[in-house]
Amino acid sequence: MYNLQLSPEQLEIRDTVRDFVTRDVKPHALRPQRLEARTRPLLIDVLDKASQLGLRTLALSEDAGGAGADTLTSSIVTEELALGDPDVAAVLARTSMLAHLLFDRLMTLEQRARFLPPFVADDRYQLALADLEPDWDAVLGIRYHRPEMSEAGVKTTAVRAGDVWVINGVKDRVANAPLAKLFAVEVSGASGVSTLLVPSDAPGLSVSESDPSSHFYHGACGTLTFRDCRVPLENLIGAEGESPLDGNATRDLPQHQALNLGIGRAAYEAALDYAQLRVQGGRRIVEHQAIGTKLAEVAVRLEVARAAIWQAAWACDHPEAIADRSLPDLPLTRIAKVFASEAIYHATKDAAECFGAMGVMRDMPLQKHVHDALVSLHSGTSNSDTKLHIAEALAGYRRPASAAVLAAE
Amino acid sequence: MDFTLSNEQRSWQMTARKFAEEEIRPISVERDEISDPRETFDWEIIKKGSRLGFRTMAVPKEWGGHGTDFVTQALVMAELAKADSAISKTFSQCWKWSHLIAATCTDEQKRRFLQPFLEDDTYLLGKGISEPSAGSDNRLPPPDDPKAGLKLRAERHGDDWILNGEKCFIANASVGKLFFIDARTDPNAPLKQGTTMFLVPRDTPGFRIGKVFNKSGWRFYQNGEMIFENARVPHANVVGPVNGSDMKTQQAGDRTGGDLFGDLELAANALGVCDDACGMALRLARTKKQGGRLLFEQQVVQLKLNRMHLLTEALRSFVMRVAWEHDHKMHSANPGLCMNFSTDVIQEVSERNLELHADAGVMNARADKLVRDAIIWSHLAGDSVQRMKTTRRLAK
Repeated sequence: MYNLQLSPEQLEIRDTVRDFVTRDVKPHALRPQRLEARTRPLLIDVLDKASQLGLRTLALSEDAGGAGADTLTSSIVTEELALGDPDVAAVLARTSMLAHLLFDRLMTLEQRARFLPPFVADDRYQLALADLEPDWDAVLGIRYHRPEMSEAGVKTTAVRAGDVWVINGVKDRVANAPLAKLFAVEVSGASGVSTLLVPSDAPGLSVSESDPSSHFYHGACGTLTFRDCRVPLENLIGAEGESPLDGNATRDLPQHQALNLGIGRAAYEAALDYAQLRVQGGRRIVEHQAIGTKLAEVAVRLEVARAAIWQAAWACDHPEAIADRSLPDLPLTRIAKVFASEAIYHATKDAAECFGAMGVMRDMPLQKHVHDALVSLHSGTSNSDTKLHIAEALAGYRRPASAAVLAAE
Repeated sequence: MDFTLSNEQRSWQMTARKFAEEEIRPISVERDEISDPRETFDWEIIKKGSRLGFRTMAVPKEWGGHGTDFVTQALVMAELAKADSAISKTFSQCWKWSHLIAATCTDEQKRRFLQPFLEDDTYLLGKGISEPSAGSDNRLPPPDDPKAGLKLRAERHGDDWILNGEKCFIANASVGKLFFIDARTDPNAPLKQGTTMFLVPRDTPGFRIGKVFNKSGWRFYQNGEMIFENARVPHANVVGPVNGSDMKTQQAGDRTGGDLFGDLELAANALGVCDDACGMALRLARTKKQGGRLLFEQQVVQLKLNRMHLLTEALRSFVMRVAWEHDHKMHSANPGLCMNFSTDVIQEVSERNLELHADAGVMNARADKLVRDAIIWSHLAGDSVQRMKTTRRLAK
């Protein structure tokens, strides 16, 4: 049954995170140096406290030491965190999602025994997935409604040498890279693409932090360089040649747009407060039709975006809702992404306009909210490309396996 | 209808294009990236542009200027803005107020202020209206609140006026040598009947510049606070009648060049930014490949380029029509409508340019800059106050 009535636990988690953001995040997030879009330092202390609150391990199962949160709950938490600080929200959402995927679903008992205890015990233990490479063309674009024309993108290699894998290559645009203590790395080998677990201190691995002007992202990002990097043979996830992690699936999740929703709400709440304080034209500006309808439009965009995001999150948690035709069999997360990212960017611009010239000043938060929404608009799969993916799904297009894959088979 | 430019108009356009491409464009992004807002400014580019006439081109010929018409001014603003919107605005801000000096100052004031302005390549002009608690109220004074609007007080003491108060968000504040300052001279009268305009030189005792605002866009263009603490201004510096600063309205016709020029100015500047964005996007589409094919081959890319160009060309038509109407002393709501329209156009066109770059995985600091520059229009040209003000001209 499709039902978005929040459970008492979900409401309680939301209130807890909301209090945490008000008390511990906002006072830091709005300091002048954090308002500089290009050079803002990550709030490490806030990440520590959030971890102590259980937000780093939110989606990890309760057996494993987490809170076992589903996609909808994770989305609610991410929205609240991003209201305070989108970078903090991005780092935690990434680790929490990967923790569930790796520890609960993919690792063997032996791997869990090695990696889970230190992960749970260490507030600064973040996780990352390294799948993209520098010249990897992940765009659908020209391949719309056509079979793959380019070779698969994994050029990083791993070869067996005795009891270790030897990895060589470069991974790019790796979310959480500068903070992660464990990476899931896609590598190419004799039998196709596999995924290996690589600790950040593995010999031969170097990690460099990305410059925010290199691409659009929230949180922390980086590049991994492997030079004869060695990890034990037992670090293979799943079977050789069967990469169990779909990078695309982890890049476009309802949580990412929930994060964006938090940005939109931060701008909206600031504008609503200001509109009730600022007096021009003989009355509070909220009492002017021009500002009132602008705030109404912002609220409409945010609420409809939330409905789309929650619907997508619900569908992730309840595949049966699609099976029993409660929800349409469509790429709901992609649909939510296109709508929400455009709606929220417009919403932040409208909210900033309510502030007059203060809306563009770097020592004021509004320009940061606009910038953050622009980053969301352009991070992950582009909206142009997402629409092409949706269009293929609408037409029921199934892409034939590429020549390279056929040859390998 | 004849859209042909005269030789003189074309000559100004070509000089501006050359100067913009050779001198302004190379420094545009590096100036934008300087983090201290006081350091983004560059006097060398101002001096070079001034020597070519771009600072003084709006001053009438009889006062030693170039006496260019509005069509020429629109062409030059767009050409300069194509290389850097904020640098173009720094020059045209001087035209705005040299229009005002030429149209409203006495011959004695012109001798005192227009002469040095013409002779000094670093003499920039500005005007102080906005205050911390008076932004929209100055532009659209509420009929039911006669006390609303600017509060800076000027009181007469013999041959002098003593100014006390504060201005904020004042363009060229930190670099200007002469400012037009609106001050309340009758605190009991509504804004338009109780305000007087003063010529205030930078070195006036009791007058100083406060902080320089750190804007997300238009970073070259200086914008600051002004603080008046018993600033002493001679009565000879009053512009127009006491309690009669309201000269930049439609009733004043083109007597001031104030608002009418200002509307054209923002629209023409936006046009230059759009030309730049279209050029960047088209170049990207014709050089960058995806899956072994040029981006230009993709329908979604063609449709975006189409949208960018049709908006830009529509804006060009509107800008040139308004400039031509100014030259023919035809007054209507068109300048305001054109300015409002330019907000929608510059934002969509610059955002689509950034989108095309981002979609192609290309990070481009200039594409990002154009979007940040374009957002300034929300607060100057396309906010609801500016739109309603234009609409009210329609009803007059």
